[in-house]
Amino acid sequence: MPRILPQVLRNLFRKPFTVKYPYVKVEPPEGYRGRLAINKERCIRCWLCIHTCPARAISVDKETKRPSIWLGRCTFCGECAEVCPTKAITMTKEFEYTTLYEK
Amino acid sequence: MTFVVPVGPQHPMLKEPEFFRFEVKGEEIVGVDIRLGYAHRGIEEALSRRSYKHNVYLCERICGICNVVHSTTYCQTVEQLAGVEPPERAKYIRAILMELERIHSHLLWLGVAAHQIGFNTLFMLAWRDREYVMDLRELISGGRVHSAMNTIGGVRRDVRSEHVPTMLRGLDKLEQSARYYTDLWGSDRTILARCTNVGVLSKDDAIKFCAVGPLARASDVKVDIRKDDPYGAYGALSFNVITEQEGDVWAKGMVRLREILESIKIVRQALKELPSGPVRTPVELKIPPNETVERTEAPRGELIYYIRSNGTDTPERVRVRTPTYGNFASMKSMFAGGTVAEIPIVMWSIDPCFGCNDRITLVDSHTGKARVVSFDELRRWKK
Repeated sequence: MPRILPQVLRNLFRKPFTVKYPYVKVEPPEGYRGRLAINKERCIRCWLCIHTCPARAISVDKETKRPSIWLGRCTFCGECAEVCPTKAITMTKEFEYTTLYEK
Repeated sequence: MTFVVPVGPQHPMLKEPEFFRFEVKGEEIVGVDIRLGYAHRGIEEALSRRSYKHNVYLCERICGICNVVHSTTYCQTVEQLAGVEPPERAKYIRAILMELERIHSHLLWLGVAAHQIGFNTLFMLAWRDREYVMDLRELISGGRVHSAMNTIGGVRRDVRSEHVPTMLRGLDKLEQSARYYTDLWGSDRTILARCTNVGVLSKDDAIKFCAVGPLARASDVKVDIRKDDPYGAYGALSFNVITEQEGDVWAKGMVRLREILESIKIVRQALKELPSGPVRTPVELKIPPNETVERTEAPRGELIYYIRSNGTDTPERVRVRTPTYGNFASMKSMFAGGTVAEIPIVMWSIDPCFGCNDRITLVDSHTGKARVVSFDELRRWKK
């Protein structure tokens, strides 16, 4: 008898290891590096985030004159959040930012 | 009379593009020719155009599976160039992360190896238990795969004391499953039938072809950079170098599985002896002209970084030799004498990562001169 069979039978009768994702959500742990949030009031326009970004994903928004992050290039390393002197850029726990269209 | 069986660049057996030309006599393989360079990314050139700080994240992306060991080796090399020593606590945190990475890399190997021999139950089970170690990585670094923990002069985050009990609990679960897989790998009939006396690399050949990592250790060659040339915190941690005698695919798997148990031991010890203090030293990144080499033990074997600085904040040249490149030379003696049906599992037994290893040099076949291709020329070729 194959050695793995007891394990297979046990798996057959216990509840699945996976979660039904869109209906059941697993909260990421504290300190997860998710989507970046920019607080436009706190920004002092020092542009340290632009210089420190290794992927060159941050640029200046022409209308608001504040940094804006291109999520297509962002590598979620969190350097900009670390370097920001007023903590205007923070990392949230949000990880659902897939979209069909470029906004 | 021999026939040629081409495998690649696009082939269902391969996970990444690479070309292998097998010469077969009936079922038996008599020769293999390897052609590399299909997954060339120009990453070394890109490394010499960015600043030292930005390169940490580019180095991390050379290999997705062994990202921490790449960034750690890069940071260690730059630290050596700049003449700074990271704090003890940072070294321990790096060791914890690197060992967690070794566990997840070896479990991933086990899953795909089981898949290659058609044993998909084990594949699913191994990848299920791999989630425990991914969760631990997510807990301490904030990312499942890319940790982004390393920086030049230390690490960016501290391991918090409230995380230690969770980590120990996760390690207990991992140890239980790793013990089960070690037991299974040594006793299951399917695995024994497909893996013993397949793809044998003798001890003499392993030394002759400079095999590295688990491949060499499975042929009874005791090489482990962690022990031979201790870096970071490894000098203070106690562990054994795992070796097996047989040199076949089974031995290569057994070395990896027993290394998981050894890594769990290292993480436990590092968490227990974690020294207090800062995790980061400030570094001035204007490095005078110099050059240095650093080597570490990646999950797949010996990883070498060479950096030459030129007084600015960007390196002049970065050379990365990944473990897969060191193992390609041994492939011929592993394949010779085997059958066509053995190709997938023997190929996977070196744990190949073609994307990390491919480099390109263009050589004119008439004059024998190497030259650099400009960006405009590449664009013309694309059309």
